[in-house]
Amino acid sequence: MSEPAFRLTGVAKTYPGGISALSPTTLDIARGSFVGLVGPSGCGKSTLLRLLAGLLTPSEGEITRGSGTTDTGFVFQDATLMPWANVAANVALPLSFKRRGAEGVAETLKRVGLDGFAGAYPRELSGGMQMRVSIARAIVTNPPVLLMDEPFAALDEFTRFRLNDDLHILWQQNKWTVVFVTHSIREAVFLSQRVIVMSPRPGRVLADIAVRLPDQREPGLRSSHILADQCAEISEILRRSMDGAMAA
Amino acid sequence: MTRIVAPLVFGVLLLAAWEIGVVIGEVPSYIMPRPSEIASALWANAGDLAAALAVTLQVTVAALALAAMSGALIAIGLSQSQLAERVFFPYAIFLQVTPIVTIAPFVIIWVENIFIVLLILAWMAAIFPVISNTLLGLKSVDQNLKDLFRLYGATRWQTVRRLMIPSALPYFLGGLRIAGGLALIGTVVAEMVAGTSGTRSGLASRLVEASYRLELAVALACFALLSAAGLGLYVVLDAVSRRLLRHWHESAAAT
Ligand SMILES: Nc1ncnc2c1ncn2[C@@H]1O[C@H](COP(=O)(O)OP(=O)(O)OP(=O)(O)O)[C@@H](O)[C@H]1O
Ligand SMILES: [Mg+2]
Repeated sequence: MSEPAFRLTGVAKTYPGGISALSPTTLDIARGSFVGLVGPSGCGKSTLLRLLAGLLTPSEGEITRGSGTTDTGFVFQDATLMPWANVAANVALPLSFKRRGAEGVAETLKRVGLDGFAGAYPRELSGGMQMRVSIARAIVTNPPVLLMDEPFAALDEFTRFRLNDDLHILWQQNKWTVVFVTHSIREAVFLSQRVIVMSPRPGRVLADIAVRLPDQREPGLRSSHILADQCAEISEILRRSMDGAMAA
Repeated sequence: MTRIVAPLVFGVLLLAAWEIGVVIGEVPSYIMPRPSEIASALWANAGDLAAALAVTLQVTVAALALAAMSGALIAIGLSQSQLAERVFFPYAIFLQVTPIVTIAPFVIIWVENIFIVLLILAWMAAIFPVISNTLLGLKSVDQNLKDLFRLYGATRWQTVRRLMIPSALPYFLGGLRIAGGLALIGTVVAEMVAGTSGTRSGLASRLVEASYRLELAVALACFALLSAAGLGLYVVLDAVSRRLLRHWHESAAAT
C-alpha cells in the first residue's frame, strides 16, 4: 500500500489554559480516501481537523503528511467568506497567493452550480449558496487534500442532500483525500468509506468502521436498510460511550 | 419624507417663536438679535463670511485628511505588535483626554505659521477616534478567515492588505465620522485661542471679534455657518461611508 496522506503517531492537544481536547491518537488516513469523523460536541473534532491542516501544532506526538499533499482545501462550519469581495474574488483567494490569477474560477463555480453568480456579493446569497462558494474556494486549486468541518450543519436537509451528492461525485472524479467532520451519523455513513467515532472530551478514537456500501452512493441509498443498520451500529457505540461518561 | 420635513417644520416654528419673542419683549439686538436680523447680517457680510468659512474649512478638511491617514497608519502599526500597542496606545489616550486648549499656547509659541498651528491642533483633536476605531477593527478580524489566509500561505503584508484593512474599513469610517466633527471643533477652538486676525482669519475668530464689538447678529451668523459646516461635513462623510460599504456591510444596507 502507498504512503498515507496523513500519519498521526500519539498526537494529543492540550490548549493553553490546560483544556485537554485530544488524547493521544494514532491513525493513518489513506490517500484518496473519504473519512468521516463523528463524535459528541466538544470531543475535539475541530481540533483534530486543525491539527491536520497545520493550523495548530500538537502538544504531543507527530503528524507526517505524505509527499505532495501540502496543498489543502479547508471548509469551515460557516461559509467564512470575505463580505467585501464578490463571489469570484472569494473563490480566487487561494489562487491569488500562488500568483495564478483567476484560472479555473468560472469552471469551479459551474461545478458547484453557481455559474452566473460570479459578480454577486455574499450577502446577496442564501446560506446554501454561500456554502457552495466556500466549497468552490476550497477546491479551486484542486488540492489533493480537503478538510471539511461540519460544512453542511447549518443547512436544511434538502439542500444538504443535494450538496452531499455533489460532493460525492466531485470526490469520485478527483480522488481527493477528504476528512469530513459532521454531527450527522447518516451523513458520515452515506459519504464515507470509513467512519471514525470519537469519545467525549478529551477525544480519542472509539471505533474505526469501514463502511459497507457500494462505491457509487446513489441518493436512493439514504433510505436503504444497509445504511440504517450501519448508522444504528455507530449510534450504539456513541450511546454507550456517553453513558460511560455520564456514569463516571 | 417626514425624516426631512418634520425637523424642518420644528426649526421654522422655533425661529418664528424666537422672532416674535424678541419683538414682543423689546429685547435690544446687541443682547438678542432676531433671526431675520441674523439673516440680513449674513447677507450683508456674505463675501466676507464666505472667505472666513473657506479658511476654517480648509484647516478642518486638511486636519481631517491628515488624521485619517496618520490614524490609519498608526493603527496598522499598533496592530502588528502587542508590544507596540502596549507602549504607544496610552499616548494616544493621552492625546484624547488632554483638552487641546491647554496645548494651544505652546504650539503657538513653537510654530510660526498660523495655518500650521491650527492644523496641528485640529489634527490632535481628531486623530484619536480614527486610531482607536481602526485598531478595534483590525483586531476584530474573523479568526477563521485569518486561519484561511495562513493556510493558503499569505504573507504578512498580504494578510494586512487583503484581510485586515477591508475588515477594519467599517470601523475606520465610523471613526472618521466622529473625527470630522472633532476636527471642526478643534479648528474652532484653535482659532479662538490663537486669535488670528487680519485677512486670513477663519470663521471662529470672526465670531469672537464680532461678539467683542457687540455685533451679535454677525456673531450668530458665524455660528449658524459653523453649524451648517459641521452638518455638511457629517453628511459628506456619511455618504462616502455608505458608498464604500454599499455592497457588503449591514450599516450601508438599503432600507
Ligand atoms: N482555542 C481554544 N482554546 C481553549 N480551548 C479550546 C479552544 N478550542 C477548543 N477548545 C476546547 O477543546 C475542546 C474540543 O473543542 P473542539 O472545537 O475541537 O470540539 P468539537 O468536537 O469540534 O465540538 P463541536 O462538535 O461542538 O464543534 C472543547 O472542550 C473546547 O472547549
Ligand atoms: Mg467543531
